[in-house]
Amino acid sequence: MNKLRFSSKRFLLTLMLCACSVILLQNKDLSPNASFSFNIICMLCGLSVCFLLFVPSLIIKRRTGLDFLTVARVKTPSLRLPTAVFYSLYLIFTAEFFLLPYTDMFAKKYYSGVTPCAVALLLVLTCVYAAVKGVNVITRFGIFLFGFAFVTNALMFGGSLGSLDFSLYGFELSGGSGDFWRDSLYFVTPAFIAVLYACLSGATENFRLRQPVFALIFTGVKFALVLFFIFFSLGDYAGKQEYPTFTLSRAARLGSFGGIESFYLALATMSVFMIISLILCAATKSVKRESDVKYVAVFAAIIFSAHICGTYIDSVKEIFTSTGLFVILTAAAALVPLGYVFTGRKSNARKALRNTDMP
Amino acid sequence: MRAKLCVILICLSSVLLSGCQTSRKIETASIIENVSISAEDSRVCYTFYILSSDDKPKGIRIPADSFGEARKLAESEYIPNLSLSKLELLLIEDSLSDRALESDIEYISTQPSFSPSAYVALCDRNTLEAFSRTAGGQRLIEEQLTLLKKNDPSVCVNYLSVFNRFASSKTKDFTVGYVTCDGEMKISAKKIEKTKAR
Repeated sequence: MNKLRFSSKRFLLTLMLCACSVILLQNKDLSPNASFSFNIICMLCGLSVCFLLFVPSLIIKRRTGLDFLTVARVKTPSLRLPTAVFYSLYLIFTAEFFLLPYTDMFAKKYYSGVTPCAVALLLVLTCVYAAVKGVNVITRFGIFLFGFAFVTNALMFGGSLGSLDFSLYGFELSGGSGDFWRDSLYFVTPAFIAVLYACLSGATENFRLRQPVFALIFTGVKFALVLFFIFFSLGDYAGKQEYPTFTLSRAARLGSFGGIESFYLALATMSVFMIISLILCAATKSVKRESDVKYVAVFAAIIFSAHICGTYIDSVKEIFTSTGLFVILTAAAALVPLGYVFTGRKSNARKALRNTDMP
Repeated sequence: MRAKLCVILICLSSVLLSGCQTSRKIETASIIENVSISAEDSRVCYTFYILSSDDKPKGIRIPADSFGEARKLAESEYIPNLSLSKLELLLIEDSLSDRALESDIEYISTQPSFSPSAYVALCDRNTLEAFSRTAGGQRLIEEQLTLLKKNDPSVCVNYLSVFNRFASSKTKDFTVGYVTCDGEMKISAKKIEKTKAR
């Protein structure tokens, strides 16, 4: 078994920061007819589904202390290839789901002269380095990112306090069933962290059930705060703009101190960097037990090639950034471990896996 | 050796793909600090003031029907390296408030490069003339608008709040800053009726 283990708490802190990047890159994903209170209800429903999608991998972790990929490899060696193919493709899709909006936002909102592919290339190359170093090192970086995210959010929310306007917008509940499905579906997107957990949790120790619960609660609080400030500080203006969270950071001012969008952009960059690094680790793990620079490089090349296709071919971009498709694939990837939960008894499973000769 | 070759190739490709060749250099960019909208000979004239250290503001007048049209003309004919991301103040002549205030602010609100916290104010003809003659007028107006907002928080002083007032169905009217110049610059609040402005 892998002797290099690190705190499960730290890993879930990293996953929480990854989940928070969903709201940072929000671009007209939410219904314009839905009110703030309505969105909060949708968010609670969406995050509850996220928790349900977490459950299978949590049960496997609790029973065996290992991640799903290792368990699947030991229990069903004949299904190794289909599992590896499905998870690799899903993880590449997830990488594009975050990379495309990030580079698009960078090119449209921050620096209009830049080629999106150049930003993607530099980011993916950095992620290759991080993925080779391993999940342990990435989660250590997560501690730094948590501090930075705290400062950025404090500046962004503190700077928007002065422009809060309750005279135009209220807490009434308004929105139809179509809005409910659309917004709830959007709030299920952080469930991709359940898949990352299923793939990478093997190297963690001291797991407690409260850790994923707290991670999702903090994600919900962050989402609620961002939504609150977008609704009451930006109002209808946010509906006209692409990437409203970016606009929120741009509108925020602490006295004469502005330019908080630079902090926001750094936070978004580091969050996407962490997601893609973890995806590269997970993709490598889906095909090989140990981290291997060759496999990481191959997956990085595939991600970059897919990004080029997504940038220049609109239909490909639509597929890669489709929230509905992403949620369906995430649900499938998170629920595959459920099959292993119901096969074999708890005590036998643990014993069998402990006795397996693994590197 | 192979690793070094890889690093060199990556560095070269990042330089070639970075898009720097099409970017504007700061020393050649025409950074617009403020724009004024005035009525001249039954036409609307948009004056783009370029950031400079001269004593007299450098303004370029562009007759156009809307801000969008003026911007396109400026980019294609008058100011090739136009940069509007640092626009801090939009001054609109009082007589044009019905015609330009809502439509131009709506246009600005859909553009990604503008800052939502930039100031907007109405003004009289004398203010525009004084503004085009002497530098420092922008700082003065911004300070006055900040003070006005402090004394009366209901006054709308930036694009964000003016746009939201126009978009909201809850309000019939709202107030914006109104700058007058009669020897010295003064600022007061002026009511805008949404039905008239439309």
